[in-house]
Formats: sequence, C-alpha cells, structure tokens
Amino acid sequence: MENEKQESNEEEKKGSLNLSRRDIVQGLATVPFLGMFGWSWSKKDGPDTASDGPVIETPKEFTGKELNVAMLGMGAQGQVLLNSCLRIPGLKFKAVCDIWTDLNLKRAVNLLTKYGHEVTGYEDYREMLEKEKDLDAVIIATPDFWHAEHTIAFLEAGVHVYCEKEMSNTIEGARSMVEAQKRTGKLLQIGHQRRSNPRYIHCKKKLLEEADLLGRITTINGQWNRGVQPDLGWPKRYELSQEKLEKYGFETMHEFRNWRWYKGLGGGPIVDLGSHQIDIYNWFLESKPVSVMASGGVDYYEKDTHEWYDNIIALFEYQTEKGTVRASYQTITTNSSQGYFEKFMGDQGTLSISESANKSGVYREVSAPPWDEWVNKGYLSKPEKKETPAAGEGAVVDVRETASPESHTIPVELNDPYHQPHLQNFFDAIRGEAELNCPAEDGYETAVTVLKVNEAVEKGITVKFNPEEYVI
Amino acid sequence: MSFDKNEQTIGSGGIIALTLLRILIGWHFLYEGFYKLAQESWTAKPVLNGSKWIMNGVYSWIADSPSMLSFVDSLNMYGMVILGFGLILGLFTRWLALGGAVLLLLFYLINPPLPGLYYTTPTEGHYLIVNKNLIEMMALVALVFIPTGKFFGLDRFLYAFLKKS
Repeated sequence: MENEKQESNEEEKKGSLNLSRRDIVQGLATVPFLGMFGWSWSKKDGPDTASDGPVIETPKEFTGKELNVAMLGMGAQGQVLLNSCLRIPGLKFKAVCDIWTDLNLKRAVNLLTKYGHEVTGYEDYREMLEKEKDLDAVIIATPDFWHAEHTIAFLEAGVHVYCEKEMSNTIEGARSMVEAQKRTGKLLQIGHQRRSNPRYIHCKKKLLEEADLLGRITTINGQWNRGVQPDLGWPKRYELSQEKLEKYGFETMHEFRNWRWYKGLGGGPIVDLGSHQIDIYNWFLESKPVSVMASGGVDYYEKDTHEWYDNIIALFEYQTEKGTVRASYQTITTNSSQGYFEKFMGDQGTLSISESANKSGVYREVSAPPWDEWVNKGYLSKPEKKETPAAGEGAVVDVRETASPESHTIPVELNDPYHQPHLQNFFDAIRGEAELNCPAEDGYETAVTVLKVNEAVEKGITVKFNPEEYVI
Repeated sequence: MSFDKNEQTIGSGGIIALTLLRILIGWHFLYEGFYKLAQESWTAKPVLNGSKWIMNGVYSWIADSPSMLSFVDSLNMYGMVILGFGLILGLFTRWLALGGAVLLLLFYLINPPLPGLYYTTPTEGHYLIVNKNLIEMMALVALVFIPTGKFFGLDRFLYAFLKKS
C-alpha cells in the first residue's frame, strides 16, 4: 500500500471515476471465487439426490402374449385386485365368478364391460371351469376356507393361479395347495404383495443382503393397530337365500359378510393383517420361527359374532444363521395408534418399514461404522433428523442412554396400487419373464407360522414348530 | 488509501488474509443459503423448537406461528444467499459483515453450549460456551472494522464513486 500516493496521482489523470488498472483488478479480484462456487455447486450431487431418486415400477408398454384371465371372488379384495389389474397391459378378462350375483358379480361384469372386456359372469366356479376352456390364469379372492378347493381345481385344469392370502384357514388346506402345485407344475402365487413392493425388495436385497446395515439382528417388532370398525352389513333387497348361503358354506348373511371373524371360515385379524407382516419377518430373516407364544381373546366385540381374537399379541423365537432373534407382533382392532409397520433391530441399526410409505426409516446406531458408502450409492437418503426429536425443555440425557441414532429414509417408493407389482410379477412369470416373488412354498411357510399363533392362544401354550411341518 | 493514518498499517499480507477470511465466510453463507433453497421443504422450525436458554420463548413463538415462521425461513435463506454474494464479491462489505454477525449471534443463541444446558441432539464436535458460530461471528465483527472490500472487492468502485461525488 506504499505506492498509494504515487498511484492516486496517476488516477487523477485518468477517467472520471479515477479508476486505475490496479483498482479494477483489485475490485474484481474476488469475482473468480463466485465462479469456483458455481462450479463446485454444479459438480456436487443435488442436496437431495439420494432421497429423490424414484425407482418406480411402471408397467412397460405391452408387446408380449395376451393372457386370458378369470377372477373368482369379487368382494372387497377382488375389487382391489381388479382395479390393479386394469392398470396392467396385456390382460383379457374372460370370466368372473361370485355367488353374490346381484351385487358383486353384476358390478364386476359392468366394470369390465366398460373397459372393453367381453366377460361372462358365473355363480358357480365349476360351471366357469367347464365352459371357459382357454384360461391362462385365475385370480382367487374368495374367503379363506374356499382357497384350497378353488386353487386345486384350477391348477388341475391347467390354469395358473394367483391366490389371495391367507393361503388357507387350515395348515392341511395350505399343504394340499402346495402339493397340487407340484403335481400340476402350474404357477401358484400367494398374495403377500409386499414381496413385490420395490421398497421392500430394496430393503431386502440392498440394505440387508448387500450392505448388511443392521448387523446382527436380535429383535423385531411389528404391529397392525386398527380402530373400531362396525360389522359389515348388506342391503336387504340383495340378501342371499338361506339355501344359497348354506350351499356355499355360510349359516347366516352376517357370516357371509363377516366371515373373517368366524372360526372355520377365516382366521381373524392375526391372519388377515398379521400374515402380511409376519411374512416379512420370515422373508427378511430367511428363516422360520422355532416357537411362538401368544396372548389373545375376544375382549371387545360381541362374542357370538366374533369368534376370532380381536386383540392378540404374539412372541416368536427364530434361530437364524447369525443367532437368535426374538420377534413380537400385535394386532388390535380397537385403536389405530401408529397404524402398521415392521421394525427390524440389529446391533448396528434399525429398519422400520411399512407398506404405507411415510412410516419407513433406517436408523444408524452411533457405535456402528459410517454408512456414507451406502448414502453415496443412493441406497439411503442422507441423514436428516434424529429418530427421536430433541427432548423438551428440562430433559436431560442420562449416562445410561445412548445418543439418538441418525435417521435416513429409503429412497424407493411404490407409486402404483399396493397389489399391482405382485400381480404384474405373476403375469410376467406366466410369460416366462420372471420368477414368482411368493410361490406356494413361501406362502405355505407363512401360513404355518401364522395359523400356529391362533393355536398358541387357543391352547394357552408355547407352540414349538416341528421343522418338518414346514416341508412338503 | 492508507489503512490507518495514526496506527500501524495492517500490511498487504494482512489485507489479503482477511479478504480470504471474508470470502470463506461468504462461501459458507452462500452454500448454506443455496442448500436450504434447494430443499423445497426446508424450515427452521425443528431447530427453533429445540432452542434452549433465554431465546427459547421467542424462538418457540416463531416456530408456532406459521406466518412468522415462513417470514423467518425466507429471511434466513435469502439473507444467507445475499450475505454470501456480498461477502465474496466485497460489496457493502462492512454492513453485510455486521448483518452476518447479528445472524450468527441469533444462531448461537438457539442452542448455546453453556454449562448446565444439555442437548439430546449430538453436535459434530465438543464445545464449552465457545462454538463455531461464535467464532465465525467474531470474525465478521473484525471484518466490520477492517474494510477489506475497499482493497479487494466491488466496494473499491463504490469508494471511488463516493470520493468523486
């Protein structure tokens, strides 16, 4: 700065603002830093890249073989499946079947006709089997106690079957379905649709198998808490005759509408809801439990019309290759707190996952090695908040507590209806383009696991699983 | 253009070093601002809610009032971007340094590492009273008094213009 004086003399001779070359150079000297900033900003991954990357399974444009499809059981679940199917290209609906001809059947035929399918409605599946000779596939969404008979009949007729879970209301029924599948060599997909959900697949293949993020899994908990729901009713003018009800295995119209609550027809909430999630326990652990104990009862609803347990808590023990895993599961029907999720806990992290997307998260234990590699690969979002928010005023972290783990989200979403990928997988498998995500054997293992929970409650004992029970 | 008529001068090395300090702080502000803008859903709410010590009441009040919160969020994001540009380019340097220092003081007061306060959210280092916010704030306070923009920065043109008129 010693030359200042000299310079200012020079400056005065120049332009009106008295700017020397030196002034200009120095004045603009820091501008290149903005350029550097811009360059590094453009080079870095967008701040949300990892969590933004959507991996959406959308149906591809159809070029392959068109499949002739029938549906059996057009009640609530049948309609859900049909709505998903209508989004899948390459399907030609030929026939639908439901015993509630005036309501369910009519509605399904009307809907399919509207979508350009030449479809015939049947009351009796045997008539459908007799008349429809060119079926490739059938989707079965009848009450659980019908599954075995329906599935076996179609397999024997050479039709590939997608059967809703629960595979059957009895272990024997489920077993006979697997045997029929083996005998006929036809495909049998069981409707545990989470197995085709891209987010669940991402967790299984990438987070658990490849990255082994959780380390040694010791504990699982899961739940499906559902609020009070009234029994299903029916419009009087559509009431089925007593004769027809009995022909199809129901004693009353109430039973027909609310079969899930009745012994001998369904399996109750643990089977309707728990089955989906306990299936994930088995799938993620690649194991089956060795024992289960359970507490449950009809505590809230009318016992006459609700034979299965409305409140049930089960404890499973698994012996995996990595060691013992203890798993709890509860399903209640009187309170919806926190809805439904499955949570896997290992010594290095926690994976909380749910079919409803906003409930998922992965949490790293503070003592675990860093997960930067997996964040960079896009397997996880960058860590954001903590699992538990900062405690309120006056809260003190005690030496006995460990610091809250970092929270990540799972960057894979399913933007289609929940059942669509699973149905797509079934149709892809028929065309030889995929392997079934939930073949009969897997569905059977889950059926055994879940049906034994009811047995444990009924007998009030810890039920041991005989390894042979899982094998057919 | 001497730095100080009566006292010792800071020297070219000093000016260059302080200019670099100014640029680094500006860079930090600019990135923080841009990052928050890029995250569409960014909000100061959780941070404000976790506030402890004397500002707890004010910050909770802001966090709970949607209109106040969105104002504070915008002020934060755009404020930091403006501070970043200004400090890097050396424009209105002293005023922006003052503004930045005030902003950092407000950040510091959200969760100051004072003895007796416990936070459940772990930070990336360990602090007792002094943390990086406080240090960055003090660095900006220094830059309020040392007009580095007059030497390296657009302020040089500003001074020339003012001098003329």
